[in-house]
Amino acid sequence: MSLRRREKALGWGIVSIYLFYTAIFWGYPFVWMLILAFTKWNFFGKPRFMGFYNFIRLFKDPIFWQVFLNTLKFMLYFLPMVFVGAMLFAIALNKMKYFKSFVALSFLVANVSSGVAYSIIFENIFSDIGPINKFLYDHFGVTIPWFSSPSLAMLTIAIMVTWKFIGYYGLILYSGLQAIPKSLYEAAELDGATRWVKFWKITLPLINPAVVTVLVLAINLSFGIFTEPYMITGGGPMNKTLTFMMYMYNTAFRRINPSYATAIAIITALINFGIILLVRKTVEKEVSIV
Amino acid sequence: MKRKVAKDVILHAVMIILALIWIYPYVWMFISSFKVPNEIFGKFIPTKLTLEHYKFIFFMSKKLERPFIRAFLNSVFISVVVTLSVMFFSALVAYPLSKLKFGGGKAIFNFIIFQMLFPGFMFIIPLFVLIRKLHLLNTYSAMIVPYLMSAWGVFMMTQAYKSIPNDYIEAAKIDGAKTLWIIFKVLLPLVRGTVSIVGLFTFISIWDNFMWPLIVVKDYNKMPLAVLLATFHHEYASYVGPLLAGSVLQTIPMIVIFIIFRKQFLKGISMSFK
Repeated sequence: MSLRRREKALGWGIVSIYLFYTAIFWGYPFVWMLILAFTKWNFFGKPRFMGFYNFIRLFKDPIFWQVFLNTLKFMLYFLPMVFVGAMLFAIALNKMKYFKSFVALSFLVANVSSGVAYSIIFENIFSDIGPINKFLYDHFGVTIPWFSSPSLAMLTIAIMVTWKFIGYYGLILYSGLQAIPKSLYEAAELDGATRWVKFWKITLPLINPAVVTVLVLAINLSFGIFTEPYMITGGGPMNKTLTFMMYMYNTAFRRINPSYATAIAIITALINFGIILLVRKTVEKEVSIV
Repeated sequence: MKRKVAKDVILHAVMIILALIWIYPYVWMFISSFKVPNEIFGKFIPTKLTLEHYKFIFFMSKKLERPFIRAFLNSVFISVVVTLSVMFFSALVAYPLSKLKFGGGKAIFNFIIFQMLFPGFMFIIPLFVLIRKLHLLNTYSAMIVPYLMSAWGVFMMTQAYKSIPNDYIEAAKIDGAKTLWIIFKVLLPLVRGTVSIVGLFTFISIWDNFMWPLIVVKDYNKMPLAVLLATFHHEYASYVGPLLAGSVLQTIPMIVIFIIFRKQFLKGISMSFK
């Protein structure tokens, strides 16, 4: 009996360290988040209760809708590029016999680059006089205004982010591929299945958990982009690369409106969550190898 | 058979070329940081090498109130403290959650999963309010204290401990081991892989953390390197050479850590889905 009591005391004793810390640095901010979202405040004085004013204002805010479209546009570029790229990478890696780890590590090292440093690198590589435009000019006689054209800037950022994440997502898919037993393919070949059939009927369904993981990570990333536009475009040209995070940051700390910024954060999280649910519903399948 | 060999050769050649393209931005950054200014955009292979950009960020930038070395050390300090703390507390808190019956383990574990549902960006502004109330703006604590414990770290460690048979603990108890001894001398060595994944990913995310320190620190002497580099970039965007040298400084530790811990890194990736 006393042994059990001692275990109880010990358990609560250790866990309370975490609970105490979480109450301060998670619980308290959580409450403030709700207070801010329903009030008006400028960091001084007392917050004034405003009901749903911040949220109503949000739906009438043309910049918010611009940001929403920008993010959709980013996902439209980024998701197919990174998913197809990562898939091809995983399949190719699975077929390789030599230099496998060299290739895997070269792709993955992009992922550990610091956001600020890699923004500086890409800003220069894609700049008007940078190596890519120099190459294009020497061989095709054209240069492309990667970051200064309103219609291209988001695509360029999507290309950068794709560079960073293909290796990471590719390796997630790759570890999914490795779990598929070879005998399944052999059986399918006996039945005369073509390569396409094998891919659609065996590979894709069996790596479904990895596919879902990659999609979820990629969507969350699309809503969290901050460093690249902050460093390179500042949200321009013409607000075309303004992201949710930049808009939240600018609203809270440049326009000193933390309550409106909190409403932006909450709605961003809800949209993010909604899209994830939608994707899970359409893509996720129960798979089991019988 | 011959066709298959030819196909294999092409596949390997294409992948190796792609791998080289993927590391090209790093190579360009590294080489360019040693080029004389008018060759940075002119030639890929420089005709002469110079250390002037490194001299600039190491010795001259102090006069511009941009202490790069100090910022580098700040980054190291913040990242190391946070990483050690997250590893320690994750290992500690996961123990009762996985191995003790104290009538709350399951509820708290579910709460931790609930916590992980909320994206970090929702907490940035309210956390700023808290740090401001605690009068911690412009201090190292502002960048360290909010990250000392991590729900994700506790989650990972709890899962790892669960896979270890209780016999190990019972045996240690018979030998008279105390709780801390059981956690750090018996359990921890058995889940070394997970601990290093927790440490590795924490270190990288703190080293790369940008928005939060940008918000809470305005004092150039306390800035981590990422923020200092960003402010330098905003005001001296035409100093491409020093900017690239700073980027090398910011990137190198991560690449070194990545190369040392590449095995854990790969393992961490394949663990990211169940």
